[in-house]
Amino acid sequence: METLSIYAPRLVTKRQSLTPGHRACSGCGEALALKFVMKALGRDVIVVMSTGCMEIISSQLPYTAWEVPWIHTLFENAATVATGVESARKALARKGASLPKAKVVAIGGDGATFDIGLGALSGAFERGHDFLYVCLDNEAYMNTGIQRSSATPYGASTTTQPAGKASFGQSTWKKNMPAIAVAHDIAYVATASASYPFDLMNKVKKAIAVEGPSYLHIFAVCPTGWRIPTDMTIRVGRLAVETGVFPLYEVENGKYSLNYDPPQLRPVIDYLKPQGRFRHLTPEMVDKIQQRVNKEYARIKEKAAQ
Amino acid sequence: MNDITEIRWHGRGGQGAVTSAELLALTAIKEGNIAQAFPSFGPERRGAPVIAFNRISAGKPIRSRAAIAEPDIVVVLDPGLLGIIDVTRGLRDGGVLIVNSSKGLATVNSEIGGPWKLAVVDATAIARDILKRPIVNTAMLGALIKATGVVNLESLTQPLEERFGKLSEINVQACSKAYKEAVVMEYSPGVKKAEKVYPIEKSLSWKELNLGFVVTEMGNARSYRTGYWKSERPVRDNAKCIKCGMCALFCPEDCIHQDAEGYFEADEFYCKGCGICARECWTGAITMVEA
Ligand SMILES: Cc1ncc(C[n+]2csc(CCOP(=O)(O)OP(=O)(O)O)c2C)c(N)n1
Ligand code: SF4
Ligand code: SF4
Ligand SMILES: [Mg+2]
Repeated sequence: METLSIYAPRLVTKRQSLTPGHRACSGCGEALALKFVMKALGRDVIVVMSTGCMEIISSQLPYTAWEVPWIHTLFENAATVATGVESARKALARKGASLPKAKVVAIGGDGATFDIGLGALSGAFERGHDFLYVCLDNEAYMNTGIQRSSATPYGASTTTQPAGKASFGQSTWKKNMPAIAVAHDIAYVATASASYPFDLMNKVKKAIAVEGPSYLHIFAVCPTGWRIPTDMTIRVGRLAVETGVFPLYEVENGKYSLNYDPPQLRPVIDYLKPQGRFRHLTPEMVDKIQQRVNKEYARIKEKAAQ
Repeated sequence: MNDITEIRWHGRGGQGAVTSAELLALTAIKEGNIAQAFPSFGPERRGAPVIAFNRISAGKPIRSRAAIAEPDIVVVLDPGLLGIIDVTRGLRDGGVLIVNSSKGLATVNSEIGGPWKLAVVDATAIARDILKRPIVNTAMLGALIKATGVVNLESLTQPLEERFGKLSEINVQACSKAYKEAVVMEYSPGVKKAEKVYPIEKSLSWKELNLGFVVTEMGNARSYRTGYWKSERPVRDNAKCIKCGMCALFCPEDCIHQDAEGYFEADEFYCKGCGICARECWTGAITMVEA
């Protein structure tokens, strides 16, 4: 996949619907993921975004980095507002209004998606609205200063569960959010990473092409919260895939397929080592994480083989 | 100086200005003083100019918790800030300015001299040498202590140990080295501060915003110069560049564009100096240099 795209950067549109001048941290992988999402979506889109880093950095009064219709919601209700927009457009169309075509896309962080907005999202999926939900997963509440979420991986140090004498960091395993989306029996669910932009953009296009709800889960490296040098964002994202920590897969109408399955996974330590949030891990804990990754990776592989 | 010494730190998000302020307050408290340390939080992120403050008093209670507009001491962690914000705004006549710069005392004085004592140290070189990373906050504490004596150098060791654990020893070294190497120019009364216009001025007040805070122009963030955030900038070696565009693909600012000759050129106006383009370039054609 990587080699195919060597010269392909020229194929990516230059058009920006999220403009430079946004105030994300230097090296932000979440802003990069959002850039790819917006390039793939094009202009016929209404974006609904929950509170979080991407909302804050793109909408500093008196500026906006958006060149498409964009609604900032509360932290918890992006999926609900997207529901409202989609329903309103349907109602208007029913009354004979001629509306420009537009896809409704809700975007939220992991906190917004895994935690506080999960009920709202589940409801919108269950009601079957025609919209795409994108989760930008940087594995903590970054906007408010690196608090843990249910997306934070086991062992990671956060400001609410800092590693030290009394704690080794996050004590629970990351919630399997894509599986929750799949459980709603929606037509398209996929995982993607900003380190694999062509895969990511293809998935955005596939996701908006389906009727009804779809869910895209994007791994977004946060150099600030993960305590890595700003130039390592892409590398660390790649290592997450190459170690099997974050596999890239799609679930189309319930059918799993693994998009990138290297002949041999790298050991998880390669991924953990460059990150300050894992600096305190003991070899035993690394081993525990390795076991878990092996198990979950095998599970996805098994599903893909069915 | 007054009963309460007021200090303002200028740095960039991620450089440790806030940590410096906290360490200084802890040290001052250890010596029996009363002290405060707090940052000024804006929406800006890592790389953006940030400020932090200290108030230190030998006994008089500190009542104010407001941002410091007229400091006795100003510390500048990043030399790149001198040209873009007025770091000496409000600095009291007879105060102290401490600057991290490789340019030396005379040059820095000619750029931002005024009616204050000036201390200059190449903290970046010291940090690169001893800490192996350009994190200058502990070195700047050493320079600050030399120029002002607000606390004693030895008293800093314990707070450094508590903060940095295993890494405290090299931080103590960086601090001592800066203490030794900082060069100081004494206060000479009557010197005038040069009148300059700085590109980053105060942000708008709510009274200047549109009614209902309406933003009427889409994508107007384009006029916001995030390029001021960088401390390093990418430089391309055309001999190595194969014009693949990998750098442009991965730039989180989307600020690398192809020029007439087909080379991918970073737009200095937006580039935040993250170094991703340099890291991701297949042929190693891009290197990061001091901005
Ligand atoms: C009901 C409510 N609780 C808390 C907040 C404060 N808050 C704003 S953004 C945020 C965290 C966002 O985390 P996430 O969704 O993971 O996005 P990120 O900032 O990491 O991109 C919090 C807690 C809020 N805005 N609303
Ligand atoms: S805190 Fe992390 S996610 Fe938020 S803007 Fe900074 S790098 Fe991006
Ligand atoms: S250093 Fe390179 S990748 Fe980073 S903002 Fe500047 S041009 Fe973009
Ligand atoms: Mg998050």
